[in-house]
Amino acid sequence: MAAEKTYYSLEADQHLICHKCSVRLIKGRAVFEYLDNAFPVELPVCPVCGFIYVPEELAMGRVLSVEKVLEDK
Amino acid sequence: MKDHFKERSTRDYRQKRLFSKEELERRESLCVHEDPPFCNASCPLKLDVREMLKEASEGSFAKARSCLEHISPFPEILAYGCDAPCRKVCRRTELEEAVNIPAVERAVMRYSEAPKGKGLLKFKKKQKIAVFGTELFTLALAAEMAVKKYPVTLFTEAEDSVDLLKRCTDLPEEIMLRQIPVLEKTGIEIRFRETADRTFLEKEGKNYDIVCGASVLKKEAVDPVTLCDSAMHIFPSDQKEYGHVLQSFFDARRAAVSIERIVQKLDPHSTRPPEGKTESRLFTNLNYIPAEEAVIENGIYTEEECIREASRCIQCECAECMRGCAYLRAFRRYPRILTREIYNNTGIIMGDHMMNKALNACALCGQCTVTCPNGYDMADICRLARENMVETQKMSLAVHEFALLDMLFSNQEGFLSRPQPGFETCRYVYFPGCQAGGIAPKTVYKTYTDLINRLDGGVALMLGCCGVIAKWAGRKELYEEQTALLKQKMKELGDPVIIAGCPTCKVSLQEHFPDVTGLWDILKEISLPEGFRKYSGTVIVHDACGARSDPGTQDTIREIAEELGCTLQESTWSREKTGCCGYGGLVSYVNRDVASMMAEDCVKEDRDAVYLTYCMACRDRLTRQGVQAVHLTELVYNEKAEDTPGLSAKRRNRLLLKQSLLKDIWKEETMEKKLPFVMELSDEVRAKMEDRMILESDLIQTISAYRENGMAVYNESDDTLTASCRIGNVSFWIRFREKDDRYTVLSAYSHRMTVRIR
Repeated sequence: MAAEKTYYSLEADQHLICHKCSVRLIKGRAVFEYLDNAFPVELPVCPVCGFIYVPEELAMGRVLSVEKVLEDK
Repeated sequence: MKDHFKERSTRDYRQKRLFSKEELERRESLCVHEDPPFCNASCPLKLDVREMLKEASEGSFAKARSCLEHISPFPEILAYGCDAPCRKVCRRTELEEAVNIPAVERAVMRYSEAPKGKGLLKFKKKQKIAVFGTELFTLALAAEMAVKKYPVTLFTEAEDSVDLLKRCTDLPEEIMLRQIPVLEKTGIEIRFRETADRTFLEKEGKNYDIVCGASVLKKEAVDPVTLCDSAMHIFPSDQKEYGHVLQSFFDARRAAVSIERIVQKLDPHSTRPPEGKTESRLFTNLNYIPAEEAVIENGIYTEEECIREASRCIQCECAECMRGCAYLRAFRRYPRILTREIYNNTGIIMGDHMMNKALNACALCGQCTVTCPNGYDMADICRLARENMVETQKMSLAVHEFALLDMLFSNQEGFLSRPQPGFETCRYVYFPGCQAGGIAPKTVYKTYTDLINRLDGGVALMLGCCGVIAKWAGRKELYEEQTALLKQKMKELGDPVIIAGCPTCKVSLQEHFPDVTGLWDILKEISLPEGFRKYSGTVIVHDACGARSDPGTQDTIREIAEELGCTLQESTWSREKTGCCGYGGLVSYVNRDVASMMAEDCVKEDRDAVYLTYCMACRDRLTRQGVQAVHLTELVYNEKAEDTPGLSAKRRNRLLLKQSLLKDIWKEETMEKKLPFVMELSDEVRAKMEDRMILESDLIQTISAYRENGMAVYNESDDTLTASCRIGNVSFWIRFREKDDRYTVLSAYSHRMTVRIR
C-alpha cells in the first residue's frame, strides 16, 4: 500500500520541551479530525506522553480555514 | 435529553425541500425589482429606454445609439416619427413633466456615429424573401430581414433610394438623406421602378420562399398575431394600436418573427416571444426624487442639453428593501435572486453550500416586509432555511454554538426564578431578558426592587433567556426545550402576567404565554419612580426591531421619553421601518462585518445625536458603533449601563446580578467559588479573546486542567508554557508564564478539529 499522504508537516522547534516529561518534542505522526474527515499531519509531539503541540499560527491559519471549508459542506 | 451539541458528519446525505416549486415561485413573484421600467414595458419594440437614457446622461452617445440600433435598423426614422408611448407612462409626469425621450433619441443619433465594421459575423441564410410595395412597413421589414442575413429583394415603384425614402417616410430632407447610407448598408437588393401590384406579386412571388407586401396589396385580413394571410403571405396588421411610424416598425418586427418560424417549417404562432406592450409591476418611490424642469428642444438638443434632459430620468427601479437593509446590500442581491439561491443551497446534498453565509447573516428583523411594496418576507425564508439545514444535518454547529451555549448559560447557571418573598405565587413576573442582565445588571436590580415596591399581588423574578436564540439559530428542538422550561417555571410561579423588559422577549414569550406586557406599559401605568434622571436633551428613539409590529409600545416609549424631559427627533428609519442593530438573528456572532453595517445604518443619519433605545442589545451595539446610546431604564432608574461589556463580562454580570438579588431580596448566600490561582489578562489578550470568542471561563478551565495534569509545552526561547484543554467541541490553547499561583496569559487561541497520534 502506498504511504499515507501527509497534508501538513511541521518540524519540531528545538526549543520545545514537554513540561511534564522534560524531553524535547520531536516531529511525530498525528491526525486532525473534523466532521468525519481526517487529515494526516506531522506535528511536534512528546515522544513519551504523546502530547501534541498545535502552534497558534497553525490553529488560526490552516486549521481554521480547513474548518470553515468543511463547515460549509 | 437530546445532545444538541454533537458535531454532525459531512457524510450524512439528507435533503428536504425548503418549499414546493409553486411556493417558491409565489414568494419570488412578490419581488418586482426585475420588472421592466414603465417606459420599456409600454414600448412595443422593447427599447431599453432606461439604459439608453443612462448612457446618454453620461455622454456615452455611442452606447445610447446602440440601444436604439438594437431595436430597429432605422432608429432615426423612429426618433423622428414615433408617437412615444413611453413618454405617457414616464413616472416623471407625476412630478412635473415626462422625460422627452424622442428628443434625446434624436440628439443621440445626431451626436454619435454609425458603427464601423460589419458587426457580428452572421451566417447567410438561403431562403429568399421578396417584399413588394413602397411604405414604411415594407422598408422596415426588408431591412430587418436583410440585417438577419436573408437575401431580400424589395420591389418598389420608387425611382431611386431618395425617392423610396421620401415615399416611405415623412422626414425633413436633411434627416432623410442621412438614411441613404443606412439603407445601403443593409444589403437589400432594391428593384426600383417596378409596378409591384397584386398580379406582379403573385407572378414574381413564385420565385421566392417568402412573400411580403404593402397594405394596398392585401387581399384579405391577416392573422392579428402572425400577420400571415391564408396563402402565408405577410402584410401589415389590420389593427392599428400606435401611430403610423411605430406601428410600421412593430408590424415589421412581428412579421420578421413569423418569417423565421415559416422558414424553419414551424407554425408561425409557435414559440413567439412576448410581443407588444406589457404591464409592469415595478414600484418607483418618488419621495426621494426632486422635481426638475424639462429641457426645451429648440430644433435639436445640444449635446449638453441632451445630457441634461437624459439626466432627468429617475432610472426607475424598486430598491425599497435595499435602502434600509445592510444585509441585502452586503450580499448585493435582491430578495428574488437571494431566495432562489438560498432555496438551491438547501437542495445541495454533497458539495459546498455557498449561501450558508448569506442565510445566516439576515437579522430576521422583518424590515424588508415593511419596506417592500409587496411585503416580501426575507426573514421567514432565512429562518426556514436555517431550520431546514439544521434538520438535514447541513448546518454547521460552529456557526451558532457560541450563542446557543450563551443561551444555555442564561437558562442554567445564570437562571433564576423566584416568587417575591412572602408570596407563593405572584400576580406578575419580571423578565428582564438576557441582554439587560449582561449589560445593565444594576439597572435590572433597581427595576425589580421598584416593581416589588409599587405593584400589588407580588412580582416574581425570572432571569433567563426567552429562547429566541435557539429560534434564530433554526434549532427547533432546543427552542421547544427552552419553552418547556419557561412554561414549567411560570407554572410554579402561578402563571403570572409577564413583564418583559425586552421587546424581542415580549414577542417571543407571547407565542407561548397569554399574558405578556412590556415593562414600559407598567411604568406608564404606575408612573415613573421618584428620582428618575431628568434628561432635557434631544434624543432619537431607536425603535427595537422586536417592536416593529407593536405601535402601542412605540407610542408608550415616546410618551415616557417625553415625561423624562426628552425632546424627540424622528429618524427616517423609525417605528415599523426601524433597522436591526445587528444583534437580531445572531448576526453579531456569525458575521461581524454585516452586523456592524447594520448598526451603522441605525446611526448614520446623525452620528452626533443621542439614541434612546428600549432594547439593551440595541443600546450595546449602537454604543459599539461610537455614538451615544442610552436605554430607557437607565434614565428611569438613573443607573448607567456598562459601556460595551465583553462576552465574558456579560456572563459575569449575569451571575453577579443573580447573586446580589438572591442575597438582598431572598437572603440567600451563594457560595462563590474562589479560584486557587490568579489569572492575569492584558487588554491586548482580552481583545484577542473577544475576537476569537474565547471566554475567561475557558482559560480558567484550561489552566485548571494544566494544574492537574501538568501537560504543557515549554518553549526555552521565550520561557513560556502552552497548555491545552478540550471543552465541548473546542480545543482551547493558552500561552502563559507561570509564577507560583499566578498565570500571566500571553495569548489564547482555539480550534474545533480534534488531533490525535496516528
